[in-house]
Amino acid sequence: MLNNPLAYLFSPGRQWQLVADSSLNSLRTSVLYVFLFAALPCIAWYHGTTEIGWRVGDGDLVRLTPDSAIKLVVAFYCAIVAALGGIGLTIHWMAGTYGSITSFTRGFAIAAYGATPLFIAGIFGFYPLLWLDLTLGIVAVSWAVYLLYTGLPIVMNIPQERGFLYASAVIAVCLVFLMAMMGATVILWDMGLMPEFTD
Amino acid sequence: MQSADASSPSSTSIPYNHQLYNYAVVRQFAVMTVVWGIVGMLVGVIIAAQLVWPDLNFNQPWLSFGRLRPLHTNAVIFAFGGCALFSSSFYVVQRTCQVRLFSDTLASIVFWGWQLVIVLAAITLPLGFTSSKEYAELEWPIDILITIVWVLYAIVFFGTIMKRKTSHIYVANWFFAAFIITVAVLHIINSAEIPVTLFKSYSVYSGAVDAMVQWWYGHNAVGFYLTAGFLGIMYYFVPKQAGRPVYSYRLSIVHFWALIAIYIWAGPHHLHYTALPAWAQNLGMVMSLILLAPSWGGMINGIMTLSGAWHKLRDDPVLRFLIVSLSFYGMSTFEGPMMAIKAVNAMSHYTDWTIGHVHSGALGWVAMVSIGAIYHLIPVLFGKRGMYSVALINLHFWLSTIGTVLYITSMWVNGIIQGLMWRAYNSDGTLTYSFVESVSASYPGYVVRLCGGFIFFSGMLIMAFNVWKTTRLPTVASEEV
Repeated sequence: MLNNPLAYLFSPGRQWQLVADSSLNSLRTSVLYVFLFAALPCIAWYHGTTEIGWRVGDGDLVRLTPDSAIKLVVAFYCAIVAALGGIGLTIHWMAGTYGSITSFTRGFAIAAYGATPLFIAGIFGFYPLLWLDLTLGIVAVSWAVYLLYTGLPIVMNIPQERGFLYASAVIAVCLVFLMAMMGATVILWDMGLMPEFTD
Repeated sequence: MQSADASSPSSTSIPYNHQLYNYAVVRQFAVMTVVWGIVGMLVGVIIAAQLVWPDLNFNQPWLSFGRLRPLHTNAVIFAFGGCALFSSSFYVVQRTCQVRLFSDTLASIVFWGWQLVIVLAAITLPLGFTSSKEYAELEWPIDILITIVWVLYAIVFFGTIMKRKTSHIYVANWFFAAFIITVAVLHIINSAEIPVTLFKSYSVYSGAVDAMVQWWYGHNAVGFYLTAGFLGIMYYFVPKQAGRPVYSYRLSIVHFWALIAIYIWAGPHHLHYTALPAWAQNLGMVMSLILLAPSWGGMINGIMTLSGAWHKLRDDPVLRFLIVSLSFYGMSTFEGPMMAIKAVNAMSHYTDWTIGHVHSGALGWVAMVSIGAIYHLIPVLFGKRGMYSVALINLHFWLSTIGTVLYITSMWVNGIIQGLMWRAYNSDGTLTYSFVESVSASYPGYVVRLCGGFIFFSGMLIMAFNVWKTTRLPTVASEEV
C-alpha cells in the first residue's frame, strides 16, 4: 500500500522500496496523499484553537474566534501544500547534480511521504498543550529527517554516501523554506491576517 | 588554474619543520583556537543555563548574565574565531605565495599580543569594565593594544604577499586582505572614544549617530570578520580537502567584489523603527536584500567544488564539516535578508529568533568551517600522518550538527512565540499577554537551547582530546607528510 501512512512510520525501508518500484502513474497519487493528510493538522488545529484553547503559564484561557481561525487554517493548509510542492521541485531539480535521473512526480513523492510524521503529529493540535506539542514536534521532525535520509538513496537509486549529501542539501532547502514561511507569516500578519482572540 | 597548482596534493610533501615556512605561529594559533573555543563555548553554556536556572549567578556580580554575555561573545568571536583566522591566514598566505612569513618576530608578537588582549578581556569584562558598545565592549587601553596588534598583523600578511614567488594572488588571500583592512577601519572608527579614567571612556559620537556607527561596525564585524575571513578559509581548505580546483574562479572574484561593495551598507537593519532616519533604515533593508546574491555566490561555489568528491565523503568527516558549514552559511544568509525586511523585523527584533539567526551563522558556519580547517591543519603542522581518530572526528561532526539544529530550532520557536505574544491584543485593544507570560512560554525553548549548546560544547572537548592524542603520535618522515 503506497499511501498507507503507518507503513512510513513503522517499516520505512520496505515502504521506500515500494515507492522506488512504483510507476509514475501510481506515484501521482502522492498528490492526493498530501491534499488529504495536510488537512488533518488543519482541522485539528481549528478545533483546538477555537473550541479547546490554551493557557500560557498560569494565565487565562486563550482561544481564537472561529472567523479568524478559519482564515489562518486555510492559509496554513495552502502553505503546507505549497512548501511540499516547492521542496519536491528542488529535490527533482538537484537530482542531476547527484547523479540521478528523475521527474517532478518522484521528487514530490519523496517530500510528500517524508512529511508523514509531521501530518501525524499535527493531529495533536486537537488539544493544544505547548510542551506536548513542542515535544511531539521535535520527535516528528527527527523522524521526518530520518525518513528523508533513508528514503532518498533508495528512491533515487544512488549510493549511500551520495544520498547522504543529497539529503543534507534537501534539509538545507527545507530550512530555507521554513524560514520563508516564517517570513511570509509575519508579512501576512501585517496585511490583515492577524489572529483575533476571544476575550 | 593557478589555484589548482597552489593547492595540489604534491605541495604537501614539504616537511613540517622545514626552513621554508613558519609553521610555529600557525601551530600556536591552531592550538589556541581549540582552547579558546572550549572556554568561549563553556561561558555560553553557563549563560544558557542561567536562563533556565536564574539562581546560577549565585548573587555574584561577576557571574551575572550581563557581564558574562559580553565575555561569551568576545571569547567566541575574537578568541576562538580570531585564532582560527590568524592560524589559517598565516598558513594559507605562506602556502599560496610559496614564501615564508614576512617576519617571524612580528608574527610572534601578533600571537602573544592577541593572547594578551584575550586575557585582558577575560579579566575586565567580568569586573564590569565596558564601553557598552556591542562586540566592542573592551575599554580604551585594550582598544589601543588591539590596534597595534592588528597593524602588525597587516604588516606580516601584506609583507608576505608582497614578497610572494607566485605571480598570482590566490582568491583566499583576497578575502583575508579585505577582512584585515576593513576590520582595521571599523575598529578605529567605532572605538573612537574620550578616556575619562584608565578604565572608563565615552564614545565621541552621540545619539543616533553613535547608534549608526555602532551598527555599521557591528554588522560589518559579521560581514568582514565572520564572513570574508571565513570565506578565505573556505576558499583554501574546501578545494584542498576535496582535492579539486575551485568550481568557478570567475564566480569567486565576482562575488568577492559584490560582497565587499554591498555588505558595508547593511548596518541600519539593526535599527529598524528607531530614531534613525527612515531613509537610512530603508537603504539598509534594500542593501541587505541584495546581499543574498553575493552570499549565495560563495555558497554555490563552495558546494559545487565539493560536489565531485562523493567517494571521499564516506571516510572523510572533515569534508562533512565543510559541506555542512556551507549549508548553514547558505541558510543563515537567506534568513538574514529576510529578517532585514521591516515588516518581518517588526516581529523578529528583540526576540530569540535573532539569537537563533546569529548562532546558525556562528555555530553552523563559522565554528564548523573553522573546525574543519583545524582538523586539516593539525596533522600537517605537527608532522603526523593524520588525526589520532577519524571516528572521533565523525562523532564531533554529529554532535556539532545536532547541537546546532537543536539550538536554532528552539530559538525559532521561541522567537515566533515571543513575537506573536508581544503583538497579540484583544478586540477591546488590551494586550492579550503580559511580558512575563512570554518569558514563561519561552522556558521549554531555553531548556532545549541549553541541551543543544551543551552538545556542541561537548564536541569541542572531544576535539581537544583528539588534537592532544594526535600531537603524541609518532612523527612521520618529512616526505610522507
